[in-house]
Amino acid sequence: MTMAPIGTNAGPVPSRARAAQALLARFGVLIGFAAVILFFAVSSPTFLTLGNITNMLVNNVALLAMVALGMTIVIASGGIDLSVGTAVDLASMVFIMLMAAGHGLMVGLLGAIAVAAVVGAVNAILITRLRISPFLATLGVLFIGQSVQQLSSDGGNPIYLFSSDMAHKFSFIGHGSLLGISIPLWIVAVSYIGVFIVLHYARFGRYVYALGAEPGVAWYSGLRIKRDTAAIYVLSAVLAGIAGIILSCTVRCYVPLSGNAFILDAIGAAFIGTTISLERRPTVIGTLVGVLLLGIVKNGLLLVGWNFYWQQVGTGVVILLVLATSFATRRHVGEA
Amino acid sequence: MTATSRPPALSMRGITKAFGPVKALADADLRVERGTIHGLVGQNGAGKSTIIKILAGLFRPDRGTIEIDGEPQTHLNPRQVEARGIHIIHQDRLLVPTFTVGESLFLGHEGGFGAFGLLNRRRMQRQAGEALRRYFSGIDLPIEALIADLTTAQQKIVQITRALLNRPSILVLDEPTAALNKGEVDTLFTTLRGLRDEGISVIFISHYMQEIENLCDRVTILRNGKDVGTVDPRTTPIGDIVAMMIARDIKEMFPGRKRKIGAPALEIRDLTVKGKFEDVSLSVRRGEIVGITGLIGSGAKEFLQTIYGLRRADGGQVLIGGKRVVIDTPAKAVAHGVALVPEDRRSHGVALDLSIRENVTLSSLSRYGSMGFIHAGRERSGVDALIGELDVKAAGREVLVRKLSGGNQQKVVLAKWLSRESSVYLLDEPTVGVDVGSKVEIYQLLSRLAEKGAGILVLSTDLIELMGICDHLVVLYRGRVVAALRTAETDTDDVLKWATGAQASTRPDMPAATMPAS
Repeated sequence: MTMAPIGTNAGPVPSRARAAQALLARFGVLIGFAAVILFFAVSSPTFLTLGNITNMLVNNVALLAMVALGMTIVIASGGIDLSVGTAVDLASMVFIMLMAAGHGLMVGLLGAIAVAAVVGAVNAILITRLRISPFLATLGVLFIGQSVQQLSSDGGNPIYLFSSDMAHKFSFIGHGSLLGISIPLWIVAVSYIGVFIVLHYARFGRYVYALGAEPGVAWYSGLRIKRDTAAIYVLSAVLAGIAGIILSCTVRCYVPLSGNAFILDAIGAAFIGTTISLERRPTVIGTLVGVLLLGIVKNGLLLVGWNFYWQQVGTGVVILLVLATSFATRRHVGEA
Repeated sequence: MTATSRPPALSMRGITKAFGPVKALADADLRVERGTIHGLVGQNGAGKSTIIKILAGLFRPDRGTIEIDGEPQTHLNPRQVEARGIHIIHQDRLLVPTFTVGESLFLGHEGGFGAFGLLNRRRMQRQAGEALRRYFSGIDLPIEALIADLTTAQQKIVQITRALLNRPSILVLDEPTAALNKGEVDTLFTTLRGLRDEGISVIFISHYMQEIENLCDRVTILRNGKDVGTVDPRTTPIGDIVAMMIARDIKEMFPGRKRKIGAPALEIRDLTVKGKFEDVSLSVRRGEIVGITGLIGSGAKEFLQTIYGLRRADGGQVLIGGKRVVIDTPAKAVAHGVALVPEDRRSHGVALDLSIRENVTLSSLSRYGSMGFIHAGRERSGVDALIGELDVKAAGREVLVRKLSGGNQQKVVLAKWLSRESSVYLLDEPTVGVDVGSKVEIYQLLSRLAEKGAGILVLSTDLIELMGICDHLVVLYRGRVVAALRTAETDTDDVLKWATGAQASTRPDMPAATMPAS
């Protein structure tokens, strides 16, 4: 193939400084990742022990990983899902209620997934039928979800499952392990591999990215964008619902409004992930890196003795640093 | 005023600029006299944008001298350029969508609007209104309207008015008319002529030869980074200018017609969308290229959109390959083998942030895999074959479409439908913003598609183009078919008479500016 007669279309050749910036933009997160690990490894002797790493993956990473995975699909399609916390909570609530009522595990699991899917379906209807922007639609669902929880839990009382009779049916989901790896991590791994395949090797994934790049082109190209959008939000809610199930199985109770803690971290993780993709797209691998980075920061700050509230500050600072570096360098590179 | 005794408004001499191994400009000269409208033409890659970016202070030339008003300039930067009275309206600089027209006009110049840093909104609105009326008297543009709600044409007018408010001495317009309708173009040209008479120099870049002929006093032709001539377009035939641009004869632009006409591919019977068009019927047979034209408001564009399912029809029938179909979404159109090459390429044609590969296969992914999955190898080889067939000029299939020229982006749109093996092609202004070289390739491709048995319907307001490529021509005027002509038996003057209503009505001439804006 012949090369274009370059002239008007070619920007100036990036200088060496620009090239360095482009490199920093891409690998900044990975460098930061290494720096964070090094810092905690030096300041805390327990940080790099196998016990702590497992603990971190199960307690700081697994739940966020599930929520962020759904968020990745949504953001890749050009949307946002603020109702993921609601899906986590409602799935958790329905699961615990069904278990408390003495139903079998399968009923509990299906009920929890179903209620999460309903949350996604409501989002989908608001966005595709009523044409409300994803931000406002999912914000509305977030508020509705909070009220639903308060109404069904006498104003926000947790539901505890004290009886080990009831808990033994499901506690292996939160605490068990298979081949030496804990069950929540298995669930995360399977979900990530599944979504990775769908996003990068299936038609649906291509449609997701096309919607995110230019919905008008997707529509004019004959894609069924309403159906695809609906599937995206249902998928996001179901993945969050699975996080809700893992949460209930781990703590053996339902605490209202605990899912909201994941919203911003999930969005942050997905955006951190975009910085390592060449095309700046949300990707499964990128999100995994983002989730691990946030998890390590939380775990590390705990180990060096910062309390919960300072951990939030730490997470916020990390997200801001990564995004600031990325956007600042992107601006320079992009304007060339 | 004795223009000859004074130095030219702008003199660029021996400008050379290389990007790595590629010479974008090689010893190019551009001399613009005071108080003239100076055209700048050339194919994509000829160096038009590069020389303008050098003038704008965005690129530094490797060699060459620049004199403004006879004063040599060294190391121009964008701020100095503005201070020297040179204002450049770039092709796709965007306005802030959430601002009103008034705010946009004075963005960056709010200083004069109030004490203590507060903006006097009412005064701003009033002055903005006056400015718009002064420069674009025929155009109705509500000053309180949000930029996001304006058409592309209206946004362009806001940009131009904004530049004019700065009282430039040299105004550079990079393809300003690409998104404007006839009436708006006329108004713009009147404004530019008025500015010229005030002594302002205008540099006008356009792909439309007729505009160059109508507007410009001089035109400089660039080819391969070198100026190959500066002529008076009013006395030099358009064909000669095009020949200088592409170094070949204009007659070669249009492919010969050796097509076999077959069974009807697309038949439209009495299609109606109330308030837009009524009882429009036409038929496109396999192997045939049919043109459709009309002024803004004629309903031709809406007609094309309705066939593709972008609008709901109020009545009438659509038959594809002899079978009656109901198409109310683009998805159904695509499923019936109908393809649309839309006018707004950047919003509807190609996703700029996806690669060539992802764009090309977007409508036909099921052909590149099975069970919902994509076979990467099959997709790659399919895309490579299409890139080769259409001669898309890019470093490879993974290049983002954003980096391609307008002509190559249009080829990607066509490749998307070729990949789908569509049987009916609808094209809406297929060569807007496309350089002459790519135009020729697109014409040849359409001809090849027809030879292979596709039915092609082209909507265009470029009558030379329609006469060059179409077998038949349907003219719409105010929502009705007023003429169905064989291109071999008619000419552009005749078509124009039908399109403006001059032929049908008793009125001698229908000024285009009175046509309802879309």
